[in-house]
Amino acid sequence: MASVLLPVSLLLAALLLIPELFGDFTAYQIGLYLIYGIAAQGIGFLWGKTGVLPLGQALFFGFAAYVTAITLRAETGLITELALAVAVLVAIAVFACALAALIFRGRNDSGPYFSLITLALVMIAEQIAGTATTLTGGFNGLSGFDSLGKLDPFAGFYYVIVGVTVAVSLLLFVLNRLPVNLIARAVADNEPRLQLLGFPTHIIKGAAFAFSAVIAALAGGLFASHQGIVTPTSMGFGLSAELVILTAVGGRYHVLGPLIGAVLVGWASAELRDSFPYWELLMAVAFILVVLKAPGGIAELLEAGYRRVRATKPGAPSKVIAAPPTKAVDAAGPLRFDDVHLQIGVVRILNGVSFQTPATGIVSIIGPNGAGKTSTLNTITGNLRITGGRITFGRRKIDSRPPYKALHSGIGRKLQVPSVFFSMSVSENLAIAMMANRSRLLDLLRPSTYRWRSRSLSDLLDHPSVPLKEELVEPVDHLPQGHRQFLEYAMTIAAEPQVLLLDEPCAGLSPDETALMTDLVRHYQAETGGLVIVIEHDMSIVEAISDKVLVMHLGQVLAFDTFEQVRRNPEVQAVYAGGTK
Amino acid sequence: MSALLEIDALTGGYRDTNVLFGLSARIDAGSVLGVFGRNGVGKTTLARLVQGSLLAVSGDIRISGHSVAARPAHVRRAMGIGYMPQTSMVFDDLTVRENLNLGTNRDTPERYFERFPRLAERLDQPAGTMSGGERKILAFVRTMIEDTSILVLDEPSEGVQPENIELMADCLEERAAAGAAVLLCEQNLGFLARISTGYLGLDAGKVVLEKPADEVSVAQLRSVLSL
Amino acid sequence: MSSVLFLNLAWQISTLALVALGLAIVFGKLRIMNMAHGEFVMIGAYAPVITSSLGLSGWWQLPVCLLSVGLVAFVLERAIIRHLYGRMFDSLLATWGIAILLRETVELIFGRGYQSVSPPIGGTLRLFGADYPAYRIAVIVGIVLGFAALYWWSTRSRVAVRIKAMVGNPELAEAVGIDTARLSAGAFVFGCCTAGLAGLVLAPTIRIEPMMGLDYLIRSFFALVVGGLGSLEGLGIGAGIIAGTQSVLGAVANQTYGYLAVLTLSILFLWVKPDGIRSSSR
Repeated sequence: MASVLLPVSLLLAALLLIPELFGDFTAYQIGLYLIYGIAAQGIGFLWGKTGVLPLGQALFFGFAAYVTAITLRAETGLITELALAVAVLVAIAVFACALAALIFRGRNDSGPYFSLITLALVMIAEQIAGTATTLTGGFNGLSGFDSLGKLDPFAGFYYVIVGVTVAVSLLLFVLNRLPVNLIARAVADNEPRLQLLGFPTHIIKGAAFAFSAVIAALAGGLFASHQGIVTPTSMGFGLSAELVILTAVGGRYHVLGPLIGAVLVGWASAELRDSFPYWELLMAVAFILVVLKAPGGIAELLEAGYRRVRATKPGAPSKVIAAPPTKAVDAAGPLRFDDVHLQIGVVRILNGVSFQTPATGIVSIIGPNGAGKTSTLNTITGNLRITGGRITFGRRKIDSRPPYKALHSGIGRKLQVPSVFFSMSVSENLAIAMMANRSRLLDLLRPSTYRWRSRSLSDLLDHPSVPLKEELVEPVDHLPQGHRQFLEYAMTIAAEPQVLLLDEPCAGLSPDETALMTDLVRHYQAETGGLVIVIEHDMSIVEAISDKVLVMHLGQVLAFDTFEQVRRNPEVQAVYAGGTK
Repeated sequence: MSALLEIDALTGGYRDTNVLFGLSARIDAGSVLGVFGRNGVGKTTLARLVQGSLLAVSGDIRISGHSVAARPAHVRRAMGIGYMPQTSMVFDDLTVRENLNLGTNRDTPERYFERFPRLAERLDQPAGTMSGGERKILAFVRTMIEDTSILVLDEPSEGVQPENIELMADCLEERAAAGAAVLLCEQNLGFLARISTGYLGLDAGKVVLEKPADEVSVAQLRSVLSL
Repeated sequence: MSSVLFLNLAWQISTLALVALGLAIVFGKLRIMNMAHGEFVMIGAYAPVITSSLGLSGWWQLPVCLLSVGLVAFVLERAIIRHLYGRMFDSLLATWGIAILLRETVELIFGRGYQSVSPPIGGTLRLFGADYPAYRIAVIVGIVLGFAALYWWSTRSRVAVRIKAMVGNPELAEAVGIDTARLSAGAFVFGCCTAGLAGLVLAPTIRIEPMMGLDYLIRSFFALVVGGLGSLEGLGIGAGIIAGTQSVLGAVANQTYGYLAVLTLSILFLWVKPDGIRSSSR
């Protein structure tokens, strides 16, 4: 906890000293920069972690400022004002979450579209604010009201701003230590992998956006009291653009970065704007440079310098605790394809696939290239929507559902090209995997969740040939391909899915690693009594592990039988002959 | 006589980590150099350094005596180096036909359609809708028909069914016989053993075995691959 | 519908299509989220201002437009854009900075006030029983012909295929011999030049000022969202729907409602039909 309390205390101390050292007027100015900084911190959280870039935060900032101004003009008393504030914040959170979730639901790469939509929204809002004169006072805005609690912006109100700044910063520092932080970063890192681990990423993005919107609204409310006047510029494109620049230049990956950006840029702007006509130009150039050369902004440069002076010691490994059981899934039983068709454009990828696996055991799918093997797995997890037929697991229909629901139906999947969270360490990857299908919302807010370990994962890591235990703190992008395969495998089985889909798990592995992988798979199936479906090319592996073999060809099932029967099948021999590595 | 492809004390890697250290080799016209080693030893790095998508930290690469180490990839292609990468080996949004006709070719693909009929059936299909193995074959045929004298292939057999691997070996043999120099990075020892005229075994970015094919047994090759 | 309304609609749709064309190339093909797109329109619109302040005749407007826009685009591409291919979000950010840069520079040179220029072709033509400005009719015809020519070229040209290849897999494109640096620079400059041309064409009919670009950026973007990123037909359809909706609602209610309708439409499309009406897959 010291690493949270220390910077927050320093921040508090520094902010409290300002009126003492520099006088009330400077404190008033700094107060304004802090207000912008708070709004920017919300952007930093959203953008720095989930990668979603909001270009219209002034929408929430200005809306809250206007509501505050209207309320304060009505002079209804402190209690009513605070109650209304809470109501407005809730309304904003709901709106923002719904908007983002809606836009991100359909596809994973909606990021730039979302940014432009927030931009369009704020432009309309600015236009409305300028023309709805009866409500907003038009271009001249609303003024003539006292600040909240009638505090003087040049004296007492400063401390309200400090209070909010410190509170927001404290909250952000704390969030950084909690599992939600990892999940949010995972969204930006590898969204499809996170979905296959059962997390509804569009809701995560929605929640993060709502959080940033609420923070922007908080700042907007403070703004109204501080400035005593609210005009359409508070709800405008220019302010939104400025906030993003502050966040970028100050540093979007650090809690205090946006505050640094706001205070530095604000102060420099006030000093230089009149004497230096190229000030705006300079800011634009600075922004471009940050984007290209120093994406972490000033805060990151400072931290890099700090690290050079004081090298950080790696923390002591923390004790693992037993993870709670996975959420009950009422599905079990055979996986069944009923005349499944998958057509994309004119291409028939699956052309009437029907089969039923046994309730437990290992089924290998083999077939020539283009047979539809990976596509079959894609339809099971919902990465592709079938165009005909149905897929059931036990009694439950599982086709045509979004991929994040697959794990909850009991289906875990390892992809053909190892897909893990590349910006994180091995242990962070495993921590996320441990939360899959086990954690409730509250668990994401508890640091102890990081230390979850299940029996099966511990056994896997303790296995003498599995290389991951020595590499726990390594960032994943330093691992060779084969180790990433094992990591992804470990992550996939962490949630103990009833059905395990493995797409060429031995691709790129040496002969020794291949033997290890097949051992692990066999062991998993024996331990859990579940169903494993493996796509493989190497016939020696297929022979060694399969209870049944599904042969596919040209989008249809050619044969489905034991390995021996399939090997003797003349149709199979004609179309596909296997060999060993 | 200078070799078609000469690699001279090549050192290179990614960002701040080097993967290859002072590697040298030569491939004459008509020969196939089989480069092998475990995961992570530097096979792909070598392929990319030769082909140009990665620039070397030090050392030289020469085509028929001309140094190309500082040239971008499309210039090296114009000078005769063709490349089949291990991943992302086709243009997903282009049809099979467009994939094959994109560069300058010395050959028409018809010859190869006999061996790989599936490709001919899919001429107007976007390459991205084909399976992994089919894409490999498309990339392989493209590499065969380009007007190149040096072929660099990175694990072409991975994910390809065994009978097609045999056909690939035939094609490479023919190309080499017609005068090409082939740099073949592979984990599949059977495939390597079938066509290599020489071997380069790598471990931790350095050469641990360098011999002509007739002086090496498969068992020796295997020993380099395991721990 | 009265002839004037019909001709107005034709004007709005065709000019939006021309404005959005540049973004369709730069964003649709090169995957650069060019937030400065509107600023290239703006620079093109200033070309007549430049020529008249230099005392040059009207014939110089087109060369000045293409030269200024082309030069700016080329310099920016070499200095900044070329580092951003494949990094869509970074391109959004960097081009946004560039947009601010361009706006501020233009403001420093020309000031913040509105400028206006007169159309090179005066008078009206009688069409469908209505008198309509000859200039606008000439522009509409020119745009339609231009698009037809562009469409014809794109089906025959190898350049279009090479651009597609380069965008999808730049490393492999180099490996098969495509000079990606030159190709992408060319495509980017071409896209920005069409935006500048749109600005030039629109200049006699709008108020020219440094902040004018944002509106064109947003509407171009929405036209692409609705119509789909990959094709000229998509661009036409998208421009038709967006310009059409905005015109109709703008005439019936007011501008703000027009804008709101267009925004709602785009959000709906992103939710229900994320690839637009005509996406690029065959």
